Amino acid sequence: MRKIQIIIAVMIGMFSINIVQAQDDLSPERKQAIDSLALEKVRDLSKYISIIGSKTTPWSEANRVIDRAEELFMAGAEIGVSSLARPEVAYYKVRQYFERLMRLNYDRVEIEWFKIEYVSDLQRQPDGTYVGVITIFQKFKGYDKEGGLVYEDTTKKDITVYVKRKETQIGGRIIGFWDVLLGDMRVKETSK
Amino acid sequence: MTKASISFQRIGLILLIVAMTLGGTTGCKSKKKLAREQAAAEYAARVDQATKDLTAMLNDETTWTLEEKERRFATIKSWNLQDENVISLMDQVEDMLARERAEAMRKAEEERLRQEEEARKQREAAKYNSVESQFLAIAAAPDINTANEKIERALSLFASPDVPVLVIISQAGGFNDYDRPTTISKYLNYLKDQKVYNNRIEQVKYDGNGKIIELELIKK
Repeated sequence: MRKIQIIIAVMIGMFSINIVQAQDDLSPERKQAIDSLALEKVRDLSKYISIIGSKTTPWSEANRVIDRAEELFMAGAEIGVSSLARPEVAYYKVRQYFERLMRLNYDRVEIEWFKIEYVSDLQRQPDGTYVGVITIFQKFKGYDKEGGLVYEDTTKKDITVYVKRKETQIGGRIIGFWDVLLGDMRVKETSK
Repeated sequence: MTKASISFQRIGLILLIVAMTLGGTTGCKSKKKLAREQAAAEYAARVDQATKDLTAMLNDETTWTLEEKERRFATIKSWNLQDENVISLMDQVEDMLARERAEAMRKAEEERLRQEEEARKQREAAKYNSVESQFLAIAAAPDINTANEKIERALSLFASPDVPVLVIISQAGGFNDYDRPTTISKYLNYLKDQKVYNNRIEQVKYDGNGKIIELELIKK
């Protein structure tokens, strides 16, 4: 009886080790899927910023999108705002940034992100979180009532990305998922 | 006719009979020997041929299919050769053919299962076509109002706006890696905002009223 108990304990132990290994030693395919997922979240944010900034977006829709965009970020994350008119960079909490973006004093705004790519690949940290940095270029254009271009700049920003494996229960079963959260968005350079 | 000539004729006849008898026996003996030699040569040729064929099969030096190898092996077996080397080779080839047959059956079974799975996926995909077409229509909606109308229509397929939506980002070794779970209401709005639907339906769970209570998608 004792022998059986020991065998069962060893088997459970080995099974647990296998699960932990399956999560620690990610295959290239799984790592690739997580890399792509994080990039996709940044692209989603790009679209959200464009919707929030657009003057044609109804107020209620913009607020709904702000909620969705905010969910992409870690609590307390900040976004940098720069201008060609001043040298310093101002940092705002995510919600505050989006609300300011929604109320920008232009008649029409165009925001486009391009060259979205990793500058630092996702690396596993001791606590199991994968951390990386994605850089983006943001082209901003503000127009007046007559349709004239009032202001434009291109800003390079670095976004820290955190990816952590979590679990939740859905329909009576445990679902393991990768939670991608964006951290601070730092301004690296601003040019015309 | 003299007595002497009759006597000579008798002696001649006897000699002829003796000669014919002796000659006939010698001819019969030659034919048997020839037959034995022919049989021995044929046997040796079969041993030689069997050795060559069996060795070639063992060393995988033939272009024969498994069926052709099995037919060849059956033919060699039917010769009932008693050569020790051939018997040893036959044992080895028989084992090899058994392994190859088992491997072929395993592959055939795998292929059958793969085709079944493919057919199942196609049936499932066809079953979910109406749901997927609604997702595509939301993503392709030209404006917010149209998209919202299509969202309302799509939501009628679900038990509630809070029905969980799971998105598989990768499948490997029996593991599914998911994106953060969301709800159908948020997911449909996501399609409206991002204007793209690049998943496909993997699994759907329904309640007793035929409403969807759980949706599992997979990235294309």
